[in-house]
Amino acid sequence: MRFFSFHLMPYPDLPAGYDGPAWITCPNRFYDPALGAQLYNRYIDELLYAEELGFDGVCVNEHHQNAYGTMPSPNLIAAVLARQTSRVRIAVVGNALPLYDPPTRVAEEFAMLDCISGGRLIAGMVVGGGPEYYSFSLNPAQARERFAEAHDLIIRAWTEPGPFEFIGKHYKLRYVNPWPRPLQQPHPEVWIPGAGSVETVEFVARHRYAYMGIPYFHIDMFDRMFSLMREACRSEGYEADPLQLGWLVPIFVAETDSEARRRYEEHFWYFVRRLLPGINISPPGYTSVRSVENIVKGLRSFALHLQSWDEVVAGQYAIVGSPETVTELLTANIERLGVGNLLGLFQLGTLPAQDTRRNLELFASEVMPRLRDRFGATTVAGAPGAGSAPGAGVAEVAR
Amino acid sequence: MSVLTPFRLDTAVGAVTVRRGGSGGPAPLVYLHSASGEGASVPMLEDLADDRAVVAPEFPGFGDSEGLDRIEDIEDAAFHLLDVLDRLGLASADLVGMSLGGWMAAELAVRWPERVRRLVLVNAVGLYVEGSPITEIFGRPLDELAGELFADPEFPLAQLMRELAKAEQDPSAVPFELLRPMLQAQAATAKLGWRPYLHDPKLPGRLGRIAAPTLVVHGVRDGIVPAAHARAYAEAIPDARLVELDHAAHLAVLERPVELAALVREHVGT
Repeated sequence: MRFFSFHLMPYPDLPAGYDGPAWITCPNRFYDPALGAQLYNRYIDELLYAEELGFDGVCVNEHHQNAYGTMPSPNLIAAVLARQTSRVRIAVVGNALPLYDPPTRVAEEFAMLDCISGGRLIAGMVVGGGPEYYSFSLNPAQARERFAEAHDLIIRAWTEPGPFEFIGKHYKLRYVNPWPRPLQQPHPEVWIPGAGSVETVEFVARHRYAYMGIPYFHIDMFDRMFSLMREACRSEGYEADPLQLGWLVPIFVAETDSEARRRYEEHFWYFVRRLLPGINISPPGYTSVRSVENIVKGLRSFALHLQSWDEVVAGQYAIVGSPETVTELLTANIERLGVGNLLGLFQLGTLPAQDTRRNLELFASEVMPRLRDRFGATTVAGAPGAGSAPGAGVAEVAR
Repeated sequence: MSVLTPFRLDTAVGAVTVRRGGSGGPAPLVYLHSASGEGASVPMLEDLADDRAVVAPEFPGFGDSEGLDRIEDIEDAAFHLLDVLDRLGLASADLVGMSLGGWMAAELAVRWPERVRRLVLVNAVGLYVEGSPITEIFGRPLDELAGELFADPEFPLAQLMRELAKAEQDPSAVPFELLRPMLQAQAATAKLGWRPYLHDPKLPGRLGRIAAPTLVVHGVRDGIVPAAHARAYAEAIPDARLVELDHAAHLAVLERPVELAALVREHVGT
């Protein structure tokens, strides 16, 4: 079992009178750079604190032109983390491959991060969210094709001796020969986030990568996603390693259940009602019409439709309570979902620094040890995604 | 009113549906549909088919026409339509294009001017006009879009779009089967017109190649394509005239079939 602290770096100060989406067209005059200067440094501190508290890793991700997550370049944050941490895995979940042209840029930057961090990078690769296809004027009808082609190019760039020529449908490069090469050989562990689309799950299973369930759904949705993933692995002729499955969920721990809700609820609602609107925009052609049908059905269990705290609790959209409650809920869900990676969002919406730190401390001291007792300590050697067989794992780090 | 009958046509990119009706007339009239994918029932075409041959191919990605996976941009679209004309044995045709179809008609006419006897562009996209942007059509609430596509809010399709808009709030409110054609049409349109947004930067410099006498129609209440686009087409095409159609919005072919059929007859002859 591995424990990660995931940060979205949200913008907590949208004006009270603004009720539009937090994405694409949310006016950037609302962004106060003076506040931003404080926030980046505070949020980085919160990630660094996770290492001090004994987490196995930290996670950052990529979003553009929005208030939900202010990391247009997660690689910049990861570079800071690579220098300021010494032990934790740094998971960039991920780079939105079609947004990098040519995508060898990703191969280069990830290799840099892997070298600087001493082989601690987890290389996340994503298609990019629907809103990003508006923000980059990138054709959504080509999203999946570009992702698949960019992925192949990056893996080849890491594993085949350069220079070589790559002539794909979307990328035509006469000289692929990236310097540096990644420290982890043959390449860093690869994570792919997804929201249950069959195409993505099959892709992840085929490549023996790890699948990260995208959050803010009813807990039953995660169950379906991970069952789908296990089935897909079986179709490929192997059993999914729990380390190939990651569950991302907001977590808040306080002394008692009532104290936890009292301190947390308003920040959660800011997140759901102010930062989520717009995240679900799916531009035409971004997913197949068949997938759209599934997504439309699934949307009812998406957090955007939450009305009451009872629904939050019932669907376990966030795990909130005393150390005992949180331990109990996480234990039950980890067993049910069969995941080997727990990715906690310990800061959400407007949750202030002090509450975030206290949350991390209580989780690390009261919850994590009990979960480690129950599910076993980290076995980095068993990590998936870097080798040809499950469990071949993160190969040796040449130090 | 003559009925248009559908049949399948094999093309280089895949099998497409073509609707055909009527006979005779000065030349076969080929109708290229808009991003809405109107095809099955277009009263204006049934009217025109009374005194001429009318052919309406459904573009790949719309309805059950195949081959969108082999079309990447507007130039591929133009070559596909040339292929359709060839396979239908149409050496020369009168082209009527609505919106997206107007753009395709123009792209075809600049490349193979000898294949187009008369050209009619109705609220055509395809150009970029500084200061007069084409309204965003992707990802917009359907009820808002309905107000830009139709002049009369009570027009049946406008009402249907407002009904479908409810699906955006509550997905269970509308059967998915009703949404499917619209999603398909949007996806096909996005493939051609996401970037650059519904225009081809090279088209303006080529419009001088169009040989056919051209009628450019602008619906004065069009909420999608500003009047400046119709003017730009009319100015750049050598033998063109511009007609402003009152009480018409964007989908004038559907909403003002009688007036538009009269304009088409007047322009292409009988």
